[in-house]
This record gives sequence, C-alpha cells and structure tokens, in this order.
Amino acid sequence: MYTFLKKGAPALALLGLALGSCQPELDAPKADRGSADFSRYIAVGNSLTAGYGDNGLYREGQLSSYPSILAQQFKLVGGGEFNQPLFTETQANGTGYLRLAGFTPQGTPITAPVTTNLALRAGSTAARPLYTKYTDPINNLGVPGIRMSDIETPGYGSVQGNPLFERITPDATPTQTYRQRVAASNPTFFSFWLGNNDVLGYATAGGSSSSVTPLNDFTAKANAILDDLTANGAKGIVGLIPDVTNVPFFTTVGPTLKATLAGNSIPAVVVTTGLIAPPAPVTRLTVPVANIRDASGGSVLFTLTFSPYAGLIGQRTGRVWRDLYRQTGQPAAGLSLFLLAAQVDTTQLFGLSAGNPIPSTFVLDATEQTTVSNATNGFNTALRNKAAAKGLAVFDANAFFASIAANGFGINATTNSASFLSGNLFSLDGVHPTPRGYAIIANEMVRTINSTYGASIPFVNPNDYRGVIFPQ
Amino acid sequence: MNLKHLLLAGGALLGATAAQAGGFQVTLAGQKNNGMGGVGTGLALDQASMFYNPGALAMVRERGVQIGVNATMARQAFRSQYGGAERQLDNTTTTPFNLYAGFGPAEGKWKAGIAVYTPFGSKLDYADGWEGRTSLTSIDLTSVFVQPTVSYAITDNLSIGGGLVALAYGAVNLQRDIQDPAGGHIELDGTTDVKYGWNAGIFFKPSDKLSFGISHRSKVDATVKGGDATITGVTPSLQSRFQATKFDVTLPLPATTTIGIGLMPTEKLTLGLDVNFATWSRYQNLTFNFNAPINGSTVSSSRREYQDALTFRLGGQYKVTDALTVRAGGSYDQSPVKDGFLTPETPDNDRYGATAGVSYKIGEHFGVDVSAQFLTVKKRTQTYEELVNNGTANDRIAGTYKTNIVIPGIGLNYTF
Repeated sequence: MYTFLKKGAPALALLGLALGSCQPELDAPKADRGSADFSRYIAVGNSLTAGYGDNGLYREGQLSSYPSILAQQFKLVGGGEFNQPLFTETQANGTGYLRLAGFTPQGTPITAPVTTNLALRAGSTAARPLYTKYTDPINNLGVPGIRMSDIETPGYGSVQGNPLFERITPDATPTQTYRQRVAASNPTFFSFWLGNNDVLGYATAGGSSSSVTPLNDFTAKANAILDDLTANGAKGIVGLIPDVTNVPFFTTVGPTLKATLAGNSIPAVVVTTGLIAPPAPVTRLTVPVANIRDASGGSVLFTLTFSPYAGLIGQRTGRVWRDLYRQTGQPAAGLSLFLLAAQVDTTQLFGLSAGNPIPSTFVLDATEQTTVSNATNGFNTALRNKAAAKGLAVFDANAFFASIAANGFGINATTNSASFLSGNLFSLDGVHPTPRGYAIIANEMVRTINSTYGASIPFVNPNDYRGVIFPQ
Repeated sequence: MNLKHLLLAGGALLGATAAQAGGFQVTLAGQKNNGMGGVGTGLALDQASMFYNPGALAMVRERGVQIGVNATMARQAFRSQYGGAERQLDNTTTTPFNLYAGFGPAEGKWKAGIAVYTPFGSKLDYADGWEGRTSLTSIDLTSVFVQPTVSYAITDNLSIGGGLVALAYGAVNLQRDIQDPAGGHIELDGTTDVKYGWNAGIFFKPSDKLSFGISHRSKVDATVKGGDATITGVTPSLQSRFQATKFDVTLPLPATTTIGIGLMPTEKLTLGLDVNFATWSRYQNLTFNFNAPINGSTVSSSRREYQDALTFRLGGQYKVTDALTVRAGGSYDQSPVKDGFLTPETPDNDRYGATAGVSYKIGEHFGVDVSAQFLTVKKRTQTYEELVNNGTANDRIAGTYKTNIVIPGIGLNYTF
C-alpha cells in the first residue's frame, strides 16, 4: 500500500492540476469599427426612429429605440455619447399609449389608453397637444409622423406643426425645417430611415384619406437630405421602406372575419373604396368573402381598427359611420347631412347592403394595395440608388419584414413572428415594433453595417427586450 | 449502452440541456479500462468484460467481485452569437458507478456473472439568465442498467457470451424557461419504464500475443410515460393555454458494435485498440406528448437528426511489478451531432481523451484501481445562419461552446 501511495501521489497531484485548469475560456469576440467612425452618431427618421410603439411615444419606448440600441453597441467600438429627447420619469408616459387591458370572452383583445403622467404642457388641447419642450442637444432626431415630403416645410416645428417636432425645436428657431435641423447635426455616422409615412398614412387609412407622396418629390428631398448628411464625409446606413401590408395592423382581423362570415354562409360584404369625402361620390365595392386575405389566399385586407366593429356586420346599426364622422371633428349636428351625402342608410344591414357599407377606412382592397406597393417600390429604388451613389449601408427592411411575415423569426431558442400580440415583435398598434422588434431591427442594421464597413460590432440578445405586456 | 450513448440520449430527453456529463462521450464501465482509453472489447481484463465483450468473460481467469465509482466533472464555456458575456455552467459532479460479480468453475469452460452500471448520469445546470434559457436551464439524468451474463469457451482460443440488458431504472429531470409572451418555467420529471435489450460478443485469442473481439449491444428505447409536467410563473392571462400536467417521451438509444484487438508483445505489456460504431441515426426527433395543450399543441417536437458515429480507442498497460500496473490511453470520438443541430443538452463535438491509471494488488486477492480521464470537446461554433438554413432557430441557440471534462475514478476488486 505504501508503494501505491508513493507512486500514486504524483498522479494525484497531476489530477488536481488538471481539475484546476479544466475550466475552458473563450476569447471575447473581436469588436472593431472597421472604416466607420461612430464618435458622433445621429439618427434621422420618423416614429420608428423615435422608439414609438403601442400607438404612442413614451419613455420606455424611447429607451429601447433602435438608435439607442445601436448607440449602445457602437460604444463597444469607440462610439460616443448618444442623447435622446427622453420624457422625464415624472412624465414617463409621454404622449400616452395603449395598454392591453384584457380579452373579451371571444378572445378579442381589449386595449385601453394610458392617460396619466403625460408630457403635456400648458396650452395643450385635445385637438392640438403641446408637449414639454426638450431643447438640450440630442442625437436622436426621430420625429413621429414626419414624411419625406415634410422635411423642407418651414413651421413644421412650430405650434401649428408637428407637436413632437415642435417639442424638440429650439425656441430661438421656430421655423427651422427638419432638413435644416438634420444638416446642422454634423454626424460622423448616421442612420437614415425616413419615408415610411409617405405611404403608411394612405395605407392605414384604408386608402380613404391622406395621399401618397409623389415619387419625384420624395426622390428630390431624399437626395437632398442625404447630400447634407454626407457633406462632411459621414458614413451611414439607409433603411428601406417595408411594404406595410405585412404588419399585424392589416393581417389580424381579416382571417377571423373571413372564417366567421364563411361559417354563417355569407357570400360577400359591401365596402366603399377610395376617399370618403361627400359630396364627392362614395364608391361601393362588393367583396366576395373568398377574396379576404388569410393563409389560404385572398387579397382584401381589413385594418386592426375594424376589430371593434367586425361583430356588427349584418346588424341594422349606424355606429360605425357615426364614429367615423365624429373622428372628422365636424359638428355633431352635421351627421345626417354627411350620411345623406354619402348615401348611407343605417337602417339597412351593415356591411351587407350598398346602403350601409363598411367604410373604406377599414379596408385596403387590391387596387389600393397596388398603389401602396408601387409607391413602396418606387421610394425604395430611389433610396437604394442614392445609398449606392454615396457608398452607404442599406437595411432592406422590406425584404426583412416580408421574411418575418412568411417565416417568423426564431432566435436564441425563442419563436417570434408577425402575429399580433403573441408574436412578440409588433406593439399594440399593429404597426410599430415592440422593444424586441426594435432590437432585431438594430441587429439587422449591425449586420449590414458590419459587412459594408468591414466592422465587427457585436449583436444584442433580442430576448433581453420585451414583447407585448399581457395583463397580470 | 455505454455512457456516451446514455449521456447523449439523456440530453435529448431534456429537449435541451447541455449534458454536463450528458452529451459527453465517456465510457466508464470498468476502472482498468478507464485508464486505458476505454479499450476492452479485444481484451479479457477482468469482470468488466461483461460490459465490453461478454464473449471474453469465459477467458477471464479469476472469478471476483469489483466495484468502481467515478466523479464526472464537466466545465463549459459558452458565448452566444447574439449578446452576452461568457457563460459557465454551475459546477456539478455526477458519480457513475459500476459493479460486477463473476463466478464459475476455476478451470471450467463457462463463466457467468451480473453487471450493474450507470451508463449515463448527466447533470447540467446552466447559469441563471443565460441566453439559451428557453431551450434549457438544467438537465439531470440518471440510469441504472443491470445485465446478467453468461459466457462459454468453445475452444481454448474461442469463446462467446451474451447478456440480457435491462434498463432497470432511469430518471429524467428537464427544465427550461417558457418563451415570451407567456414566460414562466416548465419542469419535466419522470422515470423510465423498464426496458430490455441484449449484449453479445465473440472473443478469439489465436496466440499468447494476439486477441480479437467483437461485441454488439442492442438498441433500447428509453421511455417515460406519465411523467410530471410542472408549469409555474406563466403570465396569468395566458395560463389557460398551459394546462399540461403529464408527459410522455421516448428516447431512442443506439445499437453499438465494437471491434477490438489486443496485443501482448511481452508478458508485462498489453495493448488494446477498439473501434466502436453507434447507430445514432435512429435519433431523429425528440418528441414530448402532453396530456393537455401547451400553448396550443399537445406535441412538442425538436429535430435532432443525429448521424451514425465512430469512436477510436487506444490504450495499454504495463506490469511494473507483480503488484503494480500502470496504464495510459487515448480516444477520439466523432460527434453524432451535425452542424446546425447542436442543442444545449448535448453541446457536442468531436472529442479527444487522454487517460491514465494505476492498479495495486494488496495480497493475493485484493486490488485497487485508480483511473483518471481528461476529455476535451473541441470548440464548436454554431451560427445563426446555420440554424436558419436548417429551420432550427426556434428551439436552439447560436454560439460557441467549449467543454472539458475531468473524470477521476477508483475501483476495488476482490478476486478468487
């Protein structure tokens, strides 16, 4: 036994050594800025850039905006400070937003507005909100609602303009245009994702109001502002415009409605198409139920905003048209004249008769979708051409969101998709992403920045960012 | 079933668990073999032949009882492709054991015996909050196999043997976090049904200096029926979608065939070479069936699509004195896991092993065997792009794994 111990001791010592050094180590991945300089990053864009979600802009959304996430990753490769026009903690709910309050017995989600701790300032009215000003220097110039066509409009940042641009416009220069503000920002690196609203407003209104920006206007302004941004040699990334018909705003209500109508053997519904502006004629269109888009086919889309009214189809009700009229802000007394001019008879069966059709506001038919898709493609060609001429990275949001709509987006052992609520990526307005949606957008941008500029910026873990908050 | 198989299989059971010892190819059925790179099919070393090649048992001269126990300590580093610092496992240790009792006439043509071994005991605890937590947070697998064995020497040079392999006891505990938006945690806990397979081998020793062996172990399906599914912490408004309380799962364990060669150039020196082939390709999917829907489905299936794999082992022993024997060996083990199919329960790759061992005889009948193995699982990176191309990004994680395993072991034997 003694011999055994004598001979075994060195072996045991060796074993102890092996145990001590057993824990493997992996080198940290290389983080390199490549040929880009992130010391002063400026984000240019609209609601998506601001961090808008759940039909509002509020502090939590701002903190998880994709520019904020990008800036955090840029810091790993020498990026500088990144300031956003954050709402204060006491006014954290900003413009107000929607929360998920619960579900009806049928499983339809119920949303409720958040109206406390808003960032309204004195003089604000319901029709024209005014927000607590934020005039410190900022890097995130995202302005919800802005269109490419708005960037050269003087007064867009005044109290008569866009309240969220007014909020960040210095008091000394109330007529500064958005383009001027951007041109003065002097970035070394920028992200530019602007132009969605030039077609989105038309689409979300079901083609019933708003208009699509003419391509030549869009192109001229996009070229001009990108020239401004690159004047001092800044590098950057240009986001393309996704075809919005893939978002839950358009894909949630239709399939359920189609199944319900088919289950009740209803062959078709009657809708209006185009503008609703009596006394101009309001055109009726009969939509066979089979033409409503769901997984099995069809093309006609219903908006998420139709969800509260879908159950009224077949009833003698004027509620839909009454609500629609109220939203125009016209005096209530004018309702009967409005209905008369639009040839709407609310004693007829809603949605099933030419006399009581479903307003175009809630329907994006095939013709309107063609308008949307042509505009989107035209804008994207313009953006792509300019980005190529300037050697900029391109985030093809159109291809990316189309892929998510088709295949979902699984990452880090989590399934995400373009489904409303359960998909984690789209917020309660059905158009804007959740914080997690913004995180995957940031990752896709990092991917294309890395490949364009030979950089190796690390990705974020999308699961660190939330999806939709369900009621407890 | 050798340890590797059970471990790998065990990992599968989890649905997602980096086998701490799971997924690690380790054959720990005999303490002498453990010191020699795991060879044994072409040799007739001791009672552990019941495991390595039942055909060789009749050629083992002594009868005896032996017991061995090992401590499997795996250490892992992981970095996610999408976010996060280096992650390490919470350190755990499993203790696979083996027990053999062989008897028969001292000079007779036959031997018989019973073997008890724990071919897998996998335990992996991932760090809290790690990036793959919706794939796996922990796995704990245990199994005990019992094998009555007989062996018969047809001639002085040729013997055969076989055993009935019973999966006498198996337990699985698999845990993971539930994906958003539901959140929460699911724990699957169950024991396996008793299942039977067989083990048979032929041993041929044409001269004092040369021996051959071939052995086959049949496939076994490890089946859990009516295991407990415990779901906690789901967002209240979604709890109605998570009503499962019981689960069934079947883990197909592969058949293995091993060819071994033994060389005895001198009386003191023994060398062995084993080549092992495992039919891992029968493990295509890991499917859990629940008694009530989990988020809309009573079935949860995850693709594995393993491929058949080879293991090469080489080892030797040298008798320094009548009492003292020293051993060394090495192994190379192909991973059955294809690119893009790596899961946290078996963060596998090809592995290299180095082993050492020493035996000391105290008196005529009693001996102590000490062994140590060091296994290194080659660093393996699985990219998000690979997962997307395979369509497997929904239930596993892109990143880089590196694992080392140290397994000291000790055995006692009494021969007569």
